[in-house]
Amino acid sequence: MSDGGRESEREPEKPARQKRAGGDELARAAARLAVAQISESQGFQTFQHSALETLSDVAVRYIYEIGKTANFYANLSGRTECNVFDIIQGLEDLGLVQGFLGASDIEHCLANSGTVKELVQYVDEAEKIPFAYSLPQFPVAKDRKLTPSFLQIGEEPPGEHIPAWLPAFPDPSTYAPSSSRIERSIEPPTSKIDQESHNRKVERSLLNLHQRLACSGLEGPSLVNHGDATKAKQAVGSNPFLAAPLQFGEKEVSPVLLPAKVKLLNEAIMRNPSMENHGRDNHISVLEALAPDIEAMESRLLDSEEKEKKVLLNSRPAVQFKIGIGRKSLGTMQDLSLQKKSFEVTSPWFGRENEKDDKKMRAEKILKESMGHTQELGHL
Amino acid sequence: MNHNQQPGDGTHEDDAALSDFLASLMDYTPTIPDELVEHYLAKSGFQCPDVRLIRLVAVATQKFVAEVATDALQCNLECNYKVLKERHKGSSRSWQCKARQAAVVKDKRDKQQKDKRLILTMEDLSRALREHGVNVKHQEYFADSPSTGMDPASRDE
Repeated sequence: MSDGGRESEREPEKPARQKRAGGDELARAAARLAVAQISESQGFQTFQHSALETLSDVAVRYIYEIGKTANFYANLSGRTECNVFDIIQGLEDLGLVQGFLGASDIEHCLANSGTVKELVQYVDEAEKIPFAYSLPQFPVAKDRKLTPSFLQIGEEPPGEHIPAWLPAFPDPSTYAPSSSRIERSIEPPTSKIDQESHNRKVERSLLNLHQRLACSGLEGPSLVNHGDATKAKQAVGSNPFLAAPLQFGEKEVSPVLLPAKVKLLNEAIMRNPSMENHGRDNHISVLEALAPDIEAMESRLLDSEEKEKKVLLNSRPAVQFKIGIGRKSLGTMQDLSLQKKSFEVTSPWFGRENEKDDKKMRAEKILKESMGHTQELGHL
Repeated sequence: MNHNQQPGDGTHEDDAALSDFLASLMDYTPTIPDELVEHYLAKSGFQCPDVRLIRLVAVATQKFVAEVATDALQCNLECNYKVLKERHKGSSRSWQCKARQAAVVKDKRDKQQKDKRLILTMEDLSRALREHGVNVKHQEYFADSPSTGMDPASRDE
Protein backbone atom coordinates (compact mmCIF):
# COMPACT_ATOMS: atom_id res chain seq x y z
CA MET A 1 0.00 0.00 0.00
CA SER A 2 1.57 3.17 -1.05
CA ASP A 3 0.82 6.34 0.69
CA GLY A 4 1.63 7.91 -2.55
CA GLY A 5 -1.27 10.23 -2.47
CA ARG A 6 1.28 12.73 -1.32
CA GLU A 7 2.40 15.33 -3.73
CA SER A 8 4.98 18.09 -3.70
CA GLU A 9 8.09 18.23 -1.61
CA ARG A 10 7.99 18.57 2.06
CA GLU A 11 11.67 19.29 2.61
CA PRO A 12 11.38 23.06 2.95
CA GLU A 13 8.61 22.63 5.44
CA LYS A 14 10.27 19.95 7.48
CA PRO A 15 12.57 22.09 9.67
CA ALA A 16 9.72 24.41 10.55
CA ARG A 17 7.55 21.45 11.33
CA GLN A 18 10.15 19.93 13.58
CA LYS A 19 10.46 23.11 15.53
CA ARG A 20 6.73 23.33 16.05
CA ALA A 21 6.12 19.74 17.02
CA GLY A 22 6.28 18.75 20.62
CA GLY A 23 7.58 15.61 22.16
CA ASP A 24 5.28 13.18 20.37
CA GLU A 25 6.55 13.74 16.88
CA LEU A 26 6.44 10.06 16.15
CA ALA A 27 2.84 9.71 17.27
CA ARG A 28 1.78 12.65 15.17
CA ALA A 29 3.53 11.31 12.12
CA ALA A 30 1.90 7.95 12.59
CA ALA A 31 -1.49 9.61 13.00
CA ARG A 32 -0.94 11.58 9.83
CA LEU A 33 -0.13 8.39 8.00
CA ALA A 34 -3.16 6.54 9.33
CA VAL A 35 -5.50 9.40 8.49
CA ALA A 36 -4.08 9.62 5.00
CA GLN A 37 -4.73 5.96 4.49
CA ILE A 38 -8.29 6.26 5.69
CA SER A 39 -8.96 9.25 3.48
CA GLU A 40 -7.45 7.47 0.55
CA SER A 41 -9.83 4.59 1.06
CA GLN A 42 -12.68 7.08 0.90
CA GLY A 43 -11.57 8.34 -2.46
CA PHE A 44 -9.12 11.17 -1.96
CA GLN A 45 -5.94 10.89 -3.93
CA THR A 46 -4.07 13.94 -2.79
CA PHE A 47 -4.09 16.09 0.28
CA GLN A 48 -3.21 19.60 1.17
CA HIS A 49 -0.58 19.52 3.88
CA SER A 50 -2.51 21.76 6.20
CA ALA A 51 -5.69 19.79 5.64
CA LEU A 52 -3.94 16.53 6.44
CA GLU A 53 -2.36 17.98 9.55
CA THR A 54 -5.67 19.36 10.69
CA LEU A 55 -7.48 16.11 10.19
CA SER A 56 -4.81 14.09 11.91
CA ASP A 57 -4.84 16.52 14.80
CA VAL A 58 -8.61 16.19 15.05
CA ALA A 59 -8.33 12.39 15.01
CA VAL A 60 -5.75 12.49 17.79
CA ARG A 61 -7.98 14.74 19.81
CA TYR A 62 -10.87 12.39 19.23
CA ILE A 63 -8.89 9.52 20.70
CA TYR A 64 -7.87 11.74 23.56
CA GLU A 65 -11.45 12.79 24.20
CA ILE A 66 -12.72 9.23 24.22
CA GLY A 67 -10.05 8.32 26.72
CA LYS A 68 -10.75 11.30 28.90
CA THR A 69 -14.49 10.76 28.91
CA ALA A 70 -14.16 7.04 29.55
CA ASN A 71 -11.82 7.73 32.43
CA PHE A 72 -14.25 10.28 33.77
CA TYR A 73 -17.11 7.83 33.74
CA ALA A 74 -15.00 5.16 35.36
CA ASN A 75 -13.99 7.53 38.13
CA LEU A 76 -17.60 8.54 38.52
CA SER A 77 -18.47 4.93 39.18
CA GLY A 78 -15.68 4.64 41.66
CA ARG A 79 -13.30 2.68 39.49
CA THR A 80 -9.84 3.42 38.21
CA GLU A 81 -9.87 1.03 35.29
CA CYS A 82 -12.22 1.67 32.42
CA ASN A 83 -14.48 -0.94 30.94
CA VAL A 84 -16.45 -1.20 27.74
CA PHE A 85 -19.44 0.65 29.10
CA ASP A 86 -17.34 3.65 29.96
CA ILE A 87 -16.13 3.76 26.40
CA ILE A 88 -19.59 3.41 24.99
CA GLN A 89 -20.77 6.24 27.15
CA GLY A 90 -17.84 8.30 25.96
CA LEU A 91 -18.72 7.55 22.38
CA GLU A 92 -22.27 8.57 23.01
CA ASP A 93 -21.17 11.86 24.45
CA LEU A 94 -19.02 12.59 21.46
CA GLY A 95 -21.63 11.38 19.04
CA LEU A 96 -24.34 13.61 20.35
CA VAL A 97 -23.29 16.31 17.92
CA GLN A 98 -24.04 14.23 14.91
CA GLY A 99 -26.70 12.18 16.58
CA PHE A 100 -27.27 8.48 16.63
CA LEU A 101 -30.16 6.13 16.89
CA GLY A 102 -31.64 6.10 20.33
CA ALA A 103 -29.88 9.19 21.56
CA SER A 104 -33.02 10.57 23.02
CA ASP A 105 -33.85 7.48 25.07
CA ILE A 106 -33.59 8.39 28.70
CA GLU A 107 -32.87 4.97 30.02
CA HIS A 108 -31.39 2.47 27.73
CA CYS A 109 -28.92 -0.28 28.04
CA LEU A 110 -25.52 0.73 26.91
CA ALA A 111 -24.94 -2.59 25.26
CA ASN A 112 -27.45 -1.87 22.54
CA SER A 113 -26.62 1.75 22.19
CA GLY A 114 -26.94 3.33 18.81
CA THR A 115 -23.25 4.05 18.62
CA VAL A 116 -22.36 0.43 19.06
CA LYS A 117 -24.74 -0.57 16.36
CA GLU A 118 -23.26 1.95 14.01
CA LEU A 119 -19.84 0.65 14.79
CA VAL A 120 -20.89 -2.88 14.11
CA GLN A 121 -22.29 -1.75 10.82
CA TYR A 122 -19.12 0.04 9.94
CA VAL A 123 -16.93 -2.93 10.75
CA ASP A 124 -19.07 -5.15 8.61
CA GLU A 125 -19.08 -2.85 5.63
CA ALA A 126 -15.71 -1.19 5.60
CA GLU A 127 -12.75 -2.82 3.99
CA LYS A 128 -9.78 -3.67 6.06
CA ILE A 129 -6.87 -1.36 5.57
CA PRO A 130 -3.92 -2.29 7.72
CA PHE A 131 -1.51 0.38 8.78
CA ALA A 132 1.36 0.80 6.36
CA TYR A 133 4.15 0.44 8.89
CA SER A 134 4.65 -1.55 12.02
CA LEU A 135 4.95 0.72 14.98
CA PRO A 136 7.00 -0.31 17.97
CA GLN A 137 5.73 0.20 21.47
CA PHE A 138 6.29 3.81 22.40
CA PRO A 139 7.28 5.75 24.34
CA VAL A 140 10.12 3.45 25.20
CA ALA A 141 10.67 3.21 28.91
CA LYS A 142 14.34 3.50 29.70
CA ASP A 143 15.65 1.08 32.26
CA ARG A 144 16.93 3.00 35.18
CA LYS A 145 20.44 2.10 36.09
CA LEU A 146 20.20 1.82 39.84
CA THR A 147 23.23 2.41 41.96
CA PRO A 148 24.37 -0.97 43.25
CA SER A 149 24.01 -1.69 46.90
CA PHE A 150 26.82 -2.44 49.29
CA LEU A 151 25.99 -6.10 49.00
CA GLN A 152 26.16 -6.04 45.24
CA ILE A 153 29.50 -4.29 45.23
CA GLY A 154 30.88 -6.42 47.97
CA GLU A 155 31.86 -3.48 50.10
CA GLU A 156 31.48 -3.16 53.79
CA PRO A 157 29.28 -0.22 54.67
CA PRO A 158 31.35 2.41 56.48
CA GLY A 159 29.47 2.24 59.72
CA GLU A 160 27.45 -0.19 61.69
CA HIS A 161 24.34 1.87 61.41
CA ILE A 162 24.26 1.51 57.62
CA PRO A 163 22.62 -1.69 56.40
CA ALA A 164 24.31 -3.46 53.55
CA TRP A 165 21.29 -3.53 51.26
CA LEU A 166 21.32 0.24 50.84
CA PRO A 167 22.92 1.76 47.73
CA ALA A 168 26.64 2.23 48.04
CA PHE A 169 28.17 5.63 48.64
CA PRO A 170 29.55 7.39 45.58
CA ASP A 171 33.26 7.52 44.87
CA PRO A 172 34.96 10.04 47.18
CA SER A 173 36.60 11.64 44.20
CA THR A 174 33.21 12.70 42.91
CA TYR A 175 32.46 14.91 45.86
CA ALA A 176 35.89 15.72 47.34
CA PRO A 177 36.88 19.42 47.23
CA SER A 178 39.10 20.71 44.47
CA SER A 179 42.31 20.64 46.52
CA SER A 180 42.38 16.92 46.09
CA ARG A 181 42.14 16.25 42.42
CA ILE A 182 41.72 12.84 40.93
CA GLU A 183 42.87 10.59 43.71
CA ARG A 184 42.57 7.39 41.80
CA SER A 185 43.43 8.06 38.22
CA ILE A 186 42.50 5.74 35.44
CA GLU A 187 46.00 5.56 33.97
CA PRO A 188 48.62 4.26 36.38
CA PRO A 189 51.54 6.27 34.93
CA THR A 190 49.95 9.59 35.73
CA SER A 191 48.97 8.73 39.28
CA LYS A 192 52.38 9.70 40.58
CA ILE A 193 52.23 12.97 38.73
CA ASP A 194 48.78 13.62 40.09
CA GLN A 195 50.07 13.08 43.57
CA GLU A 196 52.83 15.55 42.98
CA SER A 197 50.52 18.13 41.57
CA HIS A 198 48.34 17.59 44.57
CA ASN A 199 51.32 18.23 46.81
CA ARG A 200 52.07 21.33 44.86
CA LYS A 201 48.60 22.64 45.40
CA VAL A 202 48.77 21.93 49.10
CA GLU A 203 52.01 23.80 49.29
CA ARG A 204 50.52 26.69 47.44
CA SER A 205 47.62 26.96 49.80
CA LEU A 206 50.01 26.82 52.74
CA LEU A 207 52.00 29.59 51.20
CA ASN A 208 48.86 31.69 50.86
CA LEU A 209 48.31 31.26 54.53
CA HIS A 210 51.83 32.39 55.22
CA GLN A 211 51.37 35.38 53.03
CA ARG A 212 48.26 36.34 54.84
CA LEU A 213 49.92 36.24 58.19
CA ALA A 214 53.29 37.72 57.35
CA CYS A 215 52.42 40.38 54.76
CA SER A 216 54.41 39.51 51.67
CA GLY A 217 58.06 39.70 50.80
CA LEU A 218 59.31 39.17 54.33
CA GLU A 219 59.16 35.44 54.01
CA GLY A 220 60.86 33.85 51.12
CA PRO A 221 58.63 32.31 48.51
CA SER A 222 60.91 29.31 48.39
CA LEU A 223 58.09 26.97 49.34
CA VAL A 224 56.47 27.42 46.02
CA ASN A 225 59.43 26.86 43.83
CA HIS A 226 61.24 23.90 45.16
CA GLY A 227 58.94 21.17 44.10
CA ASP A 228 57.77 22.65 40.87
CA ALA A 229 60.79 22.53 38.69
CA THR A 230 61.46 18.81 38.81
CA LYS A 231 57.92 17.56 38.97
CA ALA A 232 56.65 19.98 36.49
CA LYS A 233 58.95 18.66 33.83
CA GLN A 234 57.45 15.23 34.17
CA ALA A 235 53.94 16.50 34.17
CA VAL A 236 54.25 18.78 31.21
CA GLY A 237 54.93 16.01 28.80
CA SER A 238 51.82 14.06 29.67
CA ASN A 239 49.13 16.52 30.61
CA PRO A 240 49.00 20.26 30.03
CA PHE A 241 46.85 20.72 33.11
CA LEU A 242 49.56 19.25 35.27
CA ALA A 243 52.25 21.59 34.04
CA ALA A 244 54.00 23.87 36.48
CA PRO A 245 52.36 27.19 37.08
CA LEU A 246 53.79 30.14 35.21
CA GLN A 247 56.01 32.63 36.90
CA PHE A 248 54.86 36.16 37.20
CA GLY A 249 55.47 38.03 34.01
CA GLU A 250 55.68 34.94 31.81
CA LYS A 251 52.15 35.38 30.66
CA GLU A 252 50.11 38.48 30.37
CA VAL A 253 47.07 38.29 32.54
CA SER A 254 44.41 40.87 33.02
CA PRO A 255 44.41 42.28 36.53
CA VAL A 256 41.53 41.58 38.81
CA LEU A 257 38.98 44.31 39.43
CA LEU A 258 38.38 44.76 43.11
CA PRO A 259 35.89 46.82 45.08
CA ALA A 260 37.24 50.08 46.44
CA LYS A 261 37.98 49.23 50.06
CA VAL A 262 39.66 45.98 49.35
CA LYS A 263 41.64 47.46 46.53
CA LEU A 264 43.42 50.03 48.66
CA LEU A 265 44.73 47.44 51.03
CA ASN A 266 45.55 45.00 48.32
CA GLU A 267 47.60 47.53 46.57
CA ALA A 268 49.36 48.27 49.80
CA ILE A 269 50.19 44.61 50.05
CA MET A 270 51.22 44.17 46.48
CA ARG A 271 53.23 47.27 46.17
CA ASN A 272 56.31 45.20 46.64
CA PRO A 273 56.44 43.09 43.51
CA SER A 274 54.62 45.31 41.06
CA MET A 275 56.89 48.28 41.50
CA GLU A 276 59.80 47.61 39.28
CA ASN A 277 59.91 51.00 37.72
CA HIS A 278 59.27 53.19 40.68
CA GLY A 279 61.29 53.17 43.82
CA ARG A 280 60.02 53.44 47.31
CA ASP A 281 62.01 53.55 50.40
CA ASN A 282 59.65 53.06 53.18
CA HIS A 283 57.30 50.43 51.93
CA ILE A 284 58.11 48.11 54.76
CA SER A 285 57.24 50.66 57.34
CA VAL A 286 54.02 51.47 55.57
CA LEU A 287 53.10 47.85 55.40
CA GLU A 288 53.93 47.26 59.00
CA ALA A 289 51.80 50.18 59.94
CA LEU A 290 48.96 48.83 57.95
CA ALA A 291 49.46 45.23 59.11
CA PRO A 292 46.60 45.14 61.62
CA ASP A 293 44.26 46.62 59.06
CA ILE A 294 45.43 44.18 56.50
CA GLU A 295 44.71 41.26 58.73
CA ALA A 296 41.25 42.56 59.33
CA MET A 297 40.66 43.00 55.65
CA GLU A 298 42.06 39.63 54.74
CA SER A 299 39.11 37.91 56.24
CA ARG A 300 37.00 39.63 53.65
CA LEU A 301 39.19 38.67 50.78
CA LEU A 302 37.44 35.79 49.23
CA ASP A 303 38.86 35.99 45.79
CA SER A 304 41.11 33.01 45.41
CA GLU A 305 42.42 34.30 42.18
CA GLU A 306 43.73 37.24 44.07
CA LYS A 307 45.65 34.96 46.37
CA GLU A 308 47.04 33.09 43.47
CA LYS A 309 48.17 36.31 42.00
CA LYS A 310 49.80 37.28 45.22
CA VAL A 311 51.66 34.05 45.19
CA LEU A 312 52.84 34.62 41.68
CA LEU A 313 53.74 38.20 42.38
CA ASN A 314 55.55 37.40 45.57
CA SER A 315 57.72 34.81 43.98
CA ARG A 316 60.09 37.60 42.95
CA PRO A 317 62.77 38.86 45.27
CA ALA A 318 61.97 41.85 47.41
CA VAL A 319 62.56 45.23 45.79
CA GLN A 320 63.63 48.31 47.60
CA PHE A 321 61.84 51.46 46.66
CA LYS A 322 62.99 55.02 46.83
CA ILE A 323 61.01 58.17 46.68
CA GLY A 324 62.29 60.22 43.80
CA ILE A 325 60.72 63.63 44.16
CA GLY A 326 62.45 65.21 41.25
CA ARG A 327 61.23 62.66 38.75
CA LYS A 328 58.96 63.65 35.97
CA SER A 329 56.80 60.62 36.37
CA LEU A 330 56.20 61.38 39.99
CA GLY A 331 55.35 64.90 39.09
CA THR A 332 52.63 63.57 36.88
CA MET A 333 51.67 61.19 39.61
CA GLN A 334 51.17 64.05 41.94
CA ASP A 335 48.88 65.69 39.48
CA LEU A 336 46.94 62.55 39.20
CA SER A 337 46.77 62.19 42.93
CA LEU A 338 45.37 65.69 43.22
CA GLN A 339 42.83 64.99 40.56
CA LYS A 340 41.75 61.67 41.77
CA LYS A 341 41.64 62.17 45.47
CA SER A 342 37.97 62.75 45.48
CA PHE A 343 37.19 60.17 42.84
CA GLU A 344 36.23 56.62 43.30
CA VAL A 345 39.24 54.42 43.15
CA THR A 346 37.64 52.17 40.64
CA SER A 347 36.65 54.86 38.20
CA PRO A 348 39.65 54.68 35.87
CA TRP A 349 39.12 51.01 35.47
CA PHE A 350 35.88 51.29 33.65
CA GLY A 351 36.06 50.99 29.96
CA ARG A 352 39.71 50.11 29.84
CA GLU A 353 40.39 47.24 27.55
CA ASN A 354 44.15 47.43 27.27
CA GLU A 355 46.09 45.42 29.83
CA LYS A 356 49.18 47.57 29.60
CA ASP A 357 47.19 50.63 30.39
CA ASP A 358 45.70 48.84 33.31
CA LYS A 359 49.08 48.02 34.71
CA LYS A 360 50.26 51.55 34.28
CA MET A 361 47.21 52.97 35.93
CA ARG A 362 47.57 50.53 38.73
CA ALA A 363 51.15 51.56 39.21
CA GLU A 364 50.21 55.20 39.22
CA LYS A 365 47.46 54.62 41.70
CA ILE A 366 49.68 52.73 44.05
CA LEU A 367 52.24 55.46 43.85
CA LYS A 368 49.66 58.06 44.61
CA GLU A 369 48.30 56.17 47.56
CA SER A 370 51.64 55.50 49.06
CA MET A 371 52.37 59.14 48.60
CA GLY A 372 49.19 59.85 50.49
CA HIS A 373 50.07 57.32 53.16
CA THR A 374 53.56 58.62 53.65
CA GLN A 375 52.16 62.04 54.08
CA GLU A 376 49.76 60.74 56.66
CA LEU A 377 52.47 58.89 58.48
CA GLY A 378 54.56 61.94 58.35
CA HIS A 379 51.94 63.68 60.36
CA LEU A 380 52.03 61.02 63.06
CA MET B 1 -32.62 1.31 35.78
CA ASN B 2 -35.29 0.00 33.49
CA HIS B 3 -33.22 -2.74 32.08
CA ASN B 4 -33.78 -4.67 35.30
CA GLN B 5 -37.44 -4.91 34.36
CA GLN B 6 -36.66 -6.10 30.89
CA PRO B 7 -36.73 -9.82 30.32
CA GLY B 8 -33.44 -11.36 31.20
CA ASP B 9 -33.03 -12.71 27.68
CA GLY B 10 -32.98 -9.24 26.21
CA THR B 11 -30.08 -8.08 28.29
CA HIS B 12 -28.27 -11.29 27.72
CA GLU B 13 -28.71 -10.88 24.02
CA ASP B 14 -27.38 -7.40 24.08
CA ASP B 15 -24.45 -8.42 26.14
CA ALA B 16 -23.84 -11.37 23.91
CA ALA B 17 -23.97 -9.17 20.86
CA LEU B 18 -21.53 -6.81 22.42
CA SER B 19 -19.11 -9.48 23.43
CA ASP B 20 -19.35 -11.01 19.98
CA PHE B 21 -18.61 -7.71 18.48
CA LEU B 22 -15.61 -7.23 20.68
CA ALA B 23 -14.38 -10.67 19.74
CA SER B 24 -14.79 -9.89 16.08
CA LEU B 25 -12.70 -6.80 16.58
CA MET B 26 -9.71 -8.97 17.18
CA ASP B 27 -9.98 -10.20 13.62
CA TYR B 28 -10.49 -6.79 12.17
CA THR B 29 -7.30 -4.76 12.12
CA PRO B 30 -8.08 -1.09 12.31
CA THR B 31 -6.06 1.27 10.19
CA ILE B 32 -5.03 3.23 13.24
CA PRO B 33 -2.38 1.12 14.94
CA ASP B 34 -2.88 -0.09 18.47
CA GLU B 35 0.32 1.49 19.75
CA LEU B 36 -0.77 4.92 18.64
CA VAL B 37 -4.16 4.60 20.28
CA GLU B 38 -2.61 3.24 23.44
CA HIS B 39 -0.21 6.17 23.57
CA TYR B 40 -2.91 8.78 23.40
CA LEU B 41 -5.26 6.93 25.69
CA ALA B 42 -2.48 6.65 28.24
CA LYS B 43 -1.94 10.38 27.92
CA SER B 44 -5.57 11.02 28.76
CA GLY B 45 -5.56 8.79 31.79
CA PHE B 46 -7.37 5.85 30.31
CA GLN B 47 -6.30 2.69 32.03
CA CYS B 48 -7.25 -0.69 30.72
CA PRO B 49 -5.19 -3.72 29.95
CA ASP B 50 -7.82 -5.16 27.61
CA VAL B 51 -6.76 -5.07 23.98
CA ARG B 52 -10.30 -5.30 22.72
CA LEU B 53 -11.13 -1.92 24.18
CA ILE B 54 -8.14 -0.40 22.45
CA ARG B 55 -9.41 -1.84 19.22
CA LEU B 56 -12.85 -0.48 19.95
CA VAL B 57 -11.48 3.01 20.34
CA ALA B 58 -9.38 2.59 17.21
CA VAL B 59 -12.37 1.51 15.21
CA ALA B 60 -14.46 4.35 16.54
CA THR B 61 -11.80 6.85 15.54
CA GLN B 62 -11.43 5.29 12.15
CA LYS B 63 -15.16 5.56 11.63
CA PHE B 64 -15.07 9.19 12.66
CA VAL B 65 -12.26 10.05 10.27
CA ALA B 66 -13.92 8.14 7.49
CA GLU B 67 -17.12 10.07 8.04
CA VAL B 68 -15.33 13.38 7.94
CA ALA B 69 -13.46 12.37 4.81
CA THR B 70 -16.68 11.30 3.16
CA ASP B 71 -18.34 14.57 4.00
CA ALA B 72 -15.40 16.48 2.64
CA LEU B 73 -15.51 14.45 -0.53
CA GLN B 74 -19.19 15.13 -0.85
CA CYS B 75 -18.59 18.80 -0.48
CA ASN B 76 -15.86 18.68 -3.07
CA LEU B 77 -17.98 16.81 -5.56
CA GLU B 78 -20.92 19.05 -4.90
CA CYS B 79 -18.98 22.14 -5.63
CA ASN B 80 -17.42 20.66 -8.70
CA TYR B 81 -20.75 19.52 -9.90
CA LYS B 82 -22.21 22.90 -9.31
CA VAL B 83 -19.37 24.58 -11.08
CA LEU B 84 -19.79 22.41 -14.09
CA LYS B 85 -23.48 22.91 -14.04
CA GLU B 86 -23.06 26.62 -13.92
CA ARG B 87 -20.62 26.55 -16.74
CA HIS B 88 -23.06 24.68 -18.87
CA LYS B 89 -26.05 26.72 -18.04
CA GLY B 90 -24.31 30.02 -17.92
CA SER B 91 -26.71 31.31 -15.31
CA SER B 92 -25.71 32.91 -12.07
CA ARG B 93 -27.54 31.14 -9.33
CA SER B 94 -26.53 31.48 -5.77
CA TRP B 95 -24.91 28.23 -4.90
CA GLN B 96 -24.22 26.95 -1.49
CA CYS B 97 -20.53 27.05 -1.93
CA LYS B 98 -20.18 30.77 -2.26
CA ALA B 99 -16.50 30.54 -1.54
CA ARG B 100 -15.95 29.16 -4.95
CA GLN B 101 -17.96 31.62 -6.93
CA ALA B 102 -15.19 34.09 -7.29
CA ALA B 103 -12.87 31.41 -8.50
CA VAL B 104 -15.27 29.91 -10.94
CA VAL B 105 -14.54 32.19 -13.83
CA LYS B 106 -10.79 32.02 -13.56
CA ASP B 107 -10.19 28.44 -12.76
CA LYS B 108 -12.59 26.51 -14.87
CA ARG B 109 -9.85 24.94 -16.83
CA ASP B 110 -7.80 24.17 -13.76
CA LYS B 111 -10.75 22.46 -12.19
CA GLN B 112 -11.28 20.40 -15.27
CA GLN B 113 -7.75 19.17 -15.18
CA LYS B 114 -7.75 18.55 -11.49
CA ASP B 115 -11.05 16.81 -11.41
CA LYS B 116 -9.23 13.63 -12.10
CA ARG B 117 -7.44 13.92 -8.77
CA LEU B 118 -9.48 14.57 -5.71
CA ILE B 119 -7.76 16.85 -3.29
CA LEU B 120 -8.61 17.15 0.38
CA THR B 121 -8.63 20.87 0.83
CA MET B 122 -8.94 22.93 3.94
CA GLU B 123 -12.18 24.39 2.78
CA ASP B 124 -13.91 21.08 2.35
CA LEU B 125 -12.44 19.85 5.56
CA SER B 126 -13.56 22.81 7.61
CA ARG B 127 -17.07 22.50 6.29
CA ALA B 128 -17.18 18.79 6.97
CA LEU B 129 -15.78 19.24 10.45
CA ARG B 130 -18.23 21.97 11.25
CA GLU B 131 -21.02 19.46 10.98
CA HIS B 132 -19.24 17.25 13.45
CA GLY B 133 -18.88 20.06 15.91
CA VAL B 134 -15.26 20.98 15.23
CA ASN B 135 -14.69 24.56 14.23
CA VAL B 136 -11.66 24.90 12.04
CA LYS B 137 -10.71 28.17 10.53
CA HIS B 138 -7.57 28.42 8.48
CA GLN B 139 -5.67 31.36 7.17
CA GLU B 140 -6.52 32.39 3.69
CA TYR B 141 -2.94 33.23 2.96
CA PHE B 142 0.31 34.04 4.67
CA ALA B 143 1.99 37.10 3.28
CA ASP B 144 5.43 35.66 2.98
CA SER B 145 5.52 34.09 -0.44
CA PRO B 146 5.04 35.28 -3.99
CA SER B 147 1.77 33.42 -4.36
CA THR B 148 0.19 35.43 -1.59
CA GLY B 149 -3.39 36.39 -2.09
CA MET B 150 -4.03 33.95 -4.88
CA ASP B 151 -7.07 31.78 -4.75
CA PRO B 152 -6.28 28.99 -2.32
CA ALA B 153 -8.11 26.39 -4.37
CA SER B 154 -5.95 27.00 -7.38
CA ARG B 155 -2.62 26.34 -5.79
CA ASP B 156 -1.35 23.12 -4.37
CA GLU B 157 0.71 23.54 -1.25
